[in-house]
Amino acid sequence: MREKMRWIAALLLSSAAIVALLTGTGLISLAVGTQETVNGQSARSVATGAKDTDGKPHQQSPPDYNPYPPGILPSNLNSEIARVLREVDFIEKRALVRWRALPPPVLTGQPPTLQNTGTEAIETLGELMNFDRNMSPGKNQACSSCHMPYAAFSGPIPSVNLTMIAYPGTVHFRAGKRTAQRYTYSPFFPVLQYNQDQALFFGGNFWDSRSTGFRLRNPDAEQAQHPPVDTQEMGNPDTACIAYKLSQSAYRPLFETVWGKGSLEIKFPRDIERICATPGGAASFGGDTTPVKLKPLDRLRANEAYNHWGQSIDAYEQSVQVSAFSSKFDAFVKGKYTMTQDEMAGYNLFKGKANCNSCHVDGRGTTLKPDQVDTSIAAAANPPIFTCFGSANEGVPLNPRVAFYYQTKPDAFKFIANPLGFAYRDLGMGTFLRSGFGAAPNPNQNWTPLAPTVDGQFQVSTARNVAMAPPQCPTTEAPGAIVNGKNVGYFQKEFFHNGYIKSLKQLVHFYNTRDVYPYNVTSGHCPDGTIEKVNCWPMPEVRNNIDMTTGNLGLTDEEENQIVAFLQTLTDGFTRPYANSDTFTGTCMTGGSAATQGNELLIPTPPLPPCASAVCGVSPTSSPAIP
Amino acid sequence: MNRLLLTVALTVMMGGAFYVTPTVAQLSPTTKKAASVEITQGPEIERADSYLTVVRWTTNNPGGSPQHYGVVHYGTDPKDLSQTAKSPIRLNPSHSDTVFRVRIDGLKSKTTYYYTVGSMEANCTSDGVKSTVKHFTTR
Repeated sequence: MREKMRWIAALLLSSAAIVALLTGTGLISLAVGTQETVNGQSARSVATGAKDTDGKPHQQSPPDYNPYPPGILPSNLNSEIARVLREVDFIEKRALVRWRALPPPVLTGQPPTLQNTGTEAIETLGELMNFDRNMSPGKNQACSSCHMPYAAFSGPIPSVNLTMIAYPGTVHFRAGKRTAQRYTYSPFFPVLQYNQDQALFFGGNFWDSRSTGFRLRNPDAEQAQHPPVDTQEMGNPDTACIAYKLSQSAYRPLFETVWGKGSLEIKFPRDIERICATPGGAASFGGDTTPVKLKPLDRLRANEAYNHWGQSIDAYEQSVQVSAFSSKFDAFVKGKYTMTQDEMAGYNLFKGKANCNSCHVDGRGTTLKPDQVDTSIAAAANPPIFTCFGSANEGVPLNPRVAFYYQTKPDAFKFIANPLGFAYRDLGMGTFLRSGFGAAPNPNQNWTPLAPTVDGQFQVSTARNVAMAPPQCPTTEAPGAIVNGKNVGYFQKEFFHNGYIKSLKQLVHFYNTRDVYPYNVTSGHCPDGTIEKVNCWPMPEVRNNIDMTTGNLGLTDEEENQIVAFLQTLTDGFTRPYANSDTFTGTCMTGGSAATQGNELLIPTPPLPPCASAVCGVSPTSSPAIP
Repeated sequence: MNRLLLTVALTVMMGGAFYVTPTVAQLSPTTKKAASVEITQGPEIERADSYLTVVRWTTNNPGGSPQHYGVVHYGTDPKDLSQTAKSPIRLNPSHSDTVFRVRIDGLKSKTTYYYTVGSMEANCTSDGVKSTVKHFTTR
C-alpha cells in the first residue's frame, strides 16, 4: 500500500512538473501545434469527414449556408474555427488529466455530501462538459468554442469579432444575434428580480436577462442550458440529446460520482444518434420540440441530467479557474499592489468625473479627496463585481455587420433564423419580457406590463476582465502592447451586445461623447469631414430608455486613456496564473490606432424598413413607438 | 512522509482549487432621501436641434432609489407645457451632486420651446424640485 501511494505521488508530481514546464516555457503552443498537424482536420472536415472524433462514421454534412453579402463572413473563418477547436480539445485533455488525478470524493453523511474532493469533482465535471465538442450535433462545437479562457471566456476569433459579430454554430454558418458574453463572474448574478421599491430589475444572465434562474434558483446554471439547444449555436434538437451524449462521454463515471449512480441510466430510442446528429430547427422535426421519444420516467431522468449539466458548468464558472479575483485591483485593495499614476488617475475618474461606478459598482467606502486615505475594508473583504446587476440602454447604434440580419433564406434544413431581416430590432430585455421574437419565454407574467420600461436595455456587464487578452498580445488596443521594447500586437475583441465598439478607447470615448457628436444617420453614413466613432456617433438602435448618466462626461483624451489603464487593472491573472490562458495559438494584430480600430471594415447600413410588428407590435407596445 | 508527498503533489496538480472564492453581491442601494432637493446649476441646453435636444441641470444628491428620472415638461406655448420627456440616470451614492440630463427627440427646427425641469425616483415619487419656465430655440 505504501509503495502504491509512493508511486501515485511520484506520477502526479511528474505530471504536474511536465504541465508546469510546458506552461512556463510556452511549449504548450508547440503541443497544440503538433496536435494540429496530427489531426489535420479543419472544423468543416469534422462535420463532413468520414470519421468523428470517436471514430464512428458520421452522416454527410450539408453544404455551407451562406446567405451573406461578401465580407460578412471572414475569409479565414474555417481555419479559425479549426484553430479554436484544437485549443478546445487541448483543454479538454488537460481536464481529463485533472479528473484522473483527483482522488474520489467520499459519499457520506445525511444529507449526503461528497466529502473532501466533491467541490473539485463538480468543478472539473463542469470544465469537461464546457470543452466537449461532442455535445453538438456536428461534434464540431463546444460551449467554449465561443468562450475561451484567454479572452476571459468571450469570443476567441479576432476576425469574427471584426466582421460577423455573433459566432457560427454547429451548422456552418448559422449564427446568433449578439456577442458572446464573458463567463467570468456570471455566477454572482442573483436570480432575476423586480425590486418594487426601487422599480428596478436586477439579476439574471444573458444580455437580455432571459436566463432568470426562476426554477434552478441559479441564473448561471440556467444560462448553460440555452446554447446547447439554440438553433444558431450548438443546435441540439432536444435537451435529451445532452443526456445521451453525457451517457456516452469518457467522463460519465465522474458525472455519476457527482450526481449519483444511475443518474444516466436512461433508455434512449434506437434512432437517438440520428436525431441528435440533426440540428434543431430542421423541418424534418415538424416543429416537434421533443423529437427524442422517451418514456415519462426516462424523460424525467433526462431533464434531471440536463439540470445537472447546468449546475456543473455553473460550478466550473464560479471556480477560481474562471472567476479568479486575481487582478491588480484585487491586489491593490489588499495593499499588495501600487497602481501606476495613470491607473490611479483612471480609478479616480472611474468613480468621480466619469461616474462609471454608479453602475459598475466598485464597493469602496467613499469617494476620496486628494487629502483623504480610504480606510474602508469593505472592498477587501467583499471584492466588488463591478456591476450593479442591472440593465441599461446605452444608445449603441445598430451594427449592420451582425450576421443575424442576413439569415432570411432557408438553409439546407429549411430553417430560417430571421425572416424579418433588417426589420428586426434588438429591444433586449423588452423583447424577453414580452416573450417575443428570438427571446426565451418570460416565466413571470407580472413582469410583462413592464416591458416598455426596459426596451433597449441590456445587462450591465462586469467591468472585470473586459481587457483580458492572450499573453502573446496582452492588450485589446491597437497598435499593440510594447513588451521589451517591441510591439507584440493586440487581440481584437468586440464590446457591447452587438459588437459595435472594437476597443476600450472607443468604449470610453462613446460614454464620453455620445451626445457631443450625435448624427441623425445610421452606421456607415457619417458625414464627410467626420470620422465614425471619433467625432460622429450614429443614431441609437433603440431611442427609448436611454441612460443619460453618461453621454457627455467632459473627459479629455488623456483622461479617457487613464480610464482604459484602470480597466486593464481588472484583468485576472496578476496575483496567480489564470488557468488555460496559455492556449491561444492564433495570430496577434498590429498597427492602426485604438480610436479607429476596425473602422476599415465599417459597411453602410442599408435603408432600414420599419420595425417589424413581430417585434415592435407585441403588447404592451413601446412608448414612444420604435420606428 | 508518503502522505505529505501525495499532498504536495495534489496541491501542485490542483493549483487554484485551494483558493477561496468569496461570495459577494453588491447591489445598488436605496440611499437616504435628502431633506430637500435644490437645483444648483442650470437648467441649461447642452444642444438643441431637431434631431436631438439635451437639457441638463445639477442638484444636490436627492437620495432614494438608485435609478432616477430627469423630467422635462415642454411646449411651444409657455402656458401649455403639456409634452413630457424623461430620461433615466443612476445616482452615485458617494457623490454629493447629481447631474440630470434629458434627451428630447424629434423637435421642430427653428422653433422656440418653453420648458420646466424636475426629477423623480423610478417609482415616480417626486424629488420635490421644479425649475422656473425657461426657453430655447432649436437650430
